[in-house]
Amino acid sequence: MIRLTGVELRRLTARRLTVIGVLAVLGITAFLLFAIWQDARPLSADEQRVAQTQYEQVHKDWVEHGDENKQMCEADWRNMPDPKPALEEMCAFREPTIDDFGKPRTVFAEVMPELLLGSSYLLVFAAFLIGASFFGAEFSTGSIGNWLTFEPRRLRVYGSKVLAAAIGLAPVGVVVLAISLLGTYLIVDQLGDTATTTGKVWGDLTAIGGRAVLLTALGAALGSVAGSLLRHTAAAIGVVMAYLVLIEGVFASFLNKAQPWLVKTNFDAFVRHDTTYYLNQCSSSPDGGYMCNSIEKTLTFEHGAWYLGILAVVVIAIGAAVFQRRDIT
Amino acid sequence: MPELAISTRGLRKTYRTRLGRKVVAVQGLDLDVPVGGVHGFLGPNGSGKTTSIRMLLGLIRADAGTMTVFDRPVPAQLPEVVGRVGAIVESPKFFPAFSGRKNLELLAEAIGVPRKQVGEVLEQTSLGERGKDRYKAYSLGMKQRLAIAATLLKQPDLLIFDEPTNGLDPAGIREIRETMRGLGDQGRTVLVSSHILAEVEQVADTVSIIGHGRLLASGTVAQVIGGSTAATVKVAVDNHEAAIRILTAAGMTVRADGNYLLVDGAEHPADVTRRLAHQELYVSELAPVRADLESVFLELTAGEGLK
Ligand SMILES: Nc1ncnc2c1ncn2[C@@H]1O[C@H](COP(=O)(O)OP(=O)(O)OP(=O)(O)O)[C@@H](O)[C@H]1O
Ligand SMILES: [Mg+2]
Repeated sequence: MIRLTGVELRRLTARRLTVIGVLAVLGITAFLLFAIWQDARPLSADEQRVAQTQYEQVHKDWVEHGDENKQMCEADWRNMPDPKPALEEMCAFREPTIDDFGKPRTVFAEVMPELLLGSSYLLVFAAFLIGASFFGAEFSTGSIGNWLTFEPRRLRVYGSKVLAAAIGLAPVGVVVLAISLLGTYLIVDQLGDTATTTGKVWGDLTAIGGRAVLLTALGAALGSVAGSLLRHTAAAIGVVMAYLVLIEGVFASFLNKAQPWLVKTNFDAFVRHDTTYYLNQCSSSPDGGYMCNSIEKTLTFEHGAWYLGILAVVVIAIGAAVFQRRDIT
Repeated sequence: MPELAISTRGLRKTYRTRLGRKVVAVQGLDLDVPVGGVHGFLGPNGSGKTTSIRMLLGLIRADAGTMTVFDRPVPAQLPEVVGRVGAIVESPKFFPAFSGRKNLELLAEAIGVPRKQVGEVLEQTSLGERGKDRYKAYSLGMKQRLAIAATLLKQPDLLIFDEPTNGLDPAGIREIRETMRGLGDQGRTVLVSSHILAEVEQVADTVSIIGHGRLLASGTVAQVIGGSTAATVKVAVDNHEAAIRILTAAGMTVRADGNYLLVDGAEHPADVTRRLAHQELYVSELAPVRADLESVFLELTAGEGLK
């Protein structure tokens, strides 16, 4: 099994699609860093002039009509039926400052977790694709039959391929996340704010990165299982895309309550260590009105971890059972 | 040392097509392949040759029946014997984007064979330099040779070739034939499936003929040809009418052919001489007409082809 996994790793790294896929991910990461740089860059003199003019106008308006607006708002508030938001919340007309019109400074500790989450989507998708092609192509070329005449123990063959996909793509995850982490730090250090990056922040970021790497490996493994089940790279990608669009996208937007059971929510919960989602809670009031509130819910890290763990075990086991029994013609 | 390289009893396989229809590909096949030499595995298109081979190699599951390879029950103990078995099923199948050499290196590594052997088998199959090219760019003959090279990595005692000469030119066909003969002469067992009979006849020591997934005949080439009603004796005798009467009475079929009589259904050519001599008719010439595998095959498999 170890020897077989070694052979499969060699095959994985020799494949053209693996190389292209990894280069594409690196390219997209470079582009993301460019976007971060764009975002963190201070305003140009022209942009600053525009911001200044806008600020002056709005400020003038506030001086002239601020009190008037506030009184109108308060009157409205008094006429609103209960329940209603706090008065200070609804009718705070604070004096605008020039900072509202400039560009907020990029704060490393604030932007980085989201960036890592974004990179992890990219990595997992790429890993899935590379994994699916790695195993799926063996069926489409028929070489799996030849391979099995050299090693007929199917579970070993299956295990070595799935494992090789996972082992082979984990380092890609490490490199890509390290590049985006350090790259962003260097950019923000020059142009933004890294002062709040405490040891704890670094610890959290490393943990997020570690979990993203784990999911990259898992994505590659599940991709290869899908490739083996569907015997075609394109079919595997198609099925997963269809699931994401139809179930996670369309269906979930109708069925709000399904959110804790979506792959996406659990993925986020696992990577970020807890995530939030919003439920619409609607009720009819006695006077016949219909009110909806968006309430924030938390999905815990543990939930995400169990969900993804069980999903992985089930899919890999189904793949093994099918591969073990399948007629190779 | 086992007597049989391959033995199957009551082997069955039914495929289910996409539309749910059942196709019986192999129905109760009893196949014995002796150790050593070349064994032809003959049958019309769709008679179940490839299916049987796939079952022997554990690629598809048999519905019923037992199989052994070198006396080991397969597929249960396939892992123990697979190192002694090299096989090419239908067309060669490798990773198209890798070079021939890379393909062989991966296989060699998977079974723990030293890398230098890859160079050796490439030389043996005269692929040599072309080993560096992508498999995709190989001609059919080169693909076939690469497949043979792959089987030789294991130094197998049993080689299974499923229609190895499909699509090859005459030179390629002869080359494969000589390779098979060479392997057989080294004491290895070669099972070669084919429907090109003249070719098999030249190279095979023993043959099995199947039709519709069942064994129709089996034995040495001579036995199979001789054992069929196609064995005809050509006789020269003075008195045709008397000879026809005598032989027909003995249950043989006789046809006139110019100055000769063609006699079918004699248990042994000597029977013909003996019966005629009894009636004082003396045979001046007697020769068995050599039937060929093709006529036997066509006779046996008449109506067994694709339906
Ligand atoms: N994957 C499959 N699904 C359904 N039916 C199949 C499948 N493979 C083979 N068959 C059917 O099984 C029967 C035997 O096929 P098989 O390929 O074993 O024949 P063969 O003797 O190798 O023929 P050929 O000389 O043409 O190679 C045929 O009727 C074929 O149509
Ligand atoms: Mg065939």
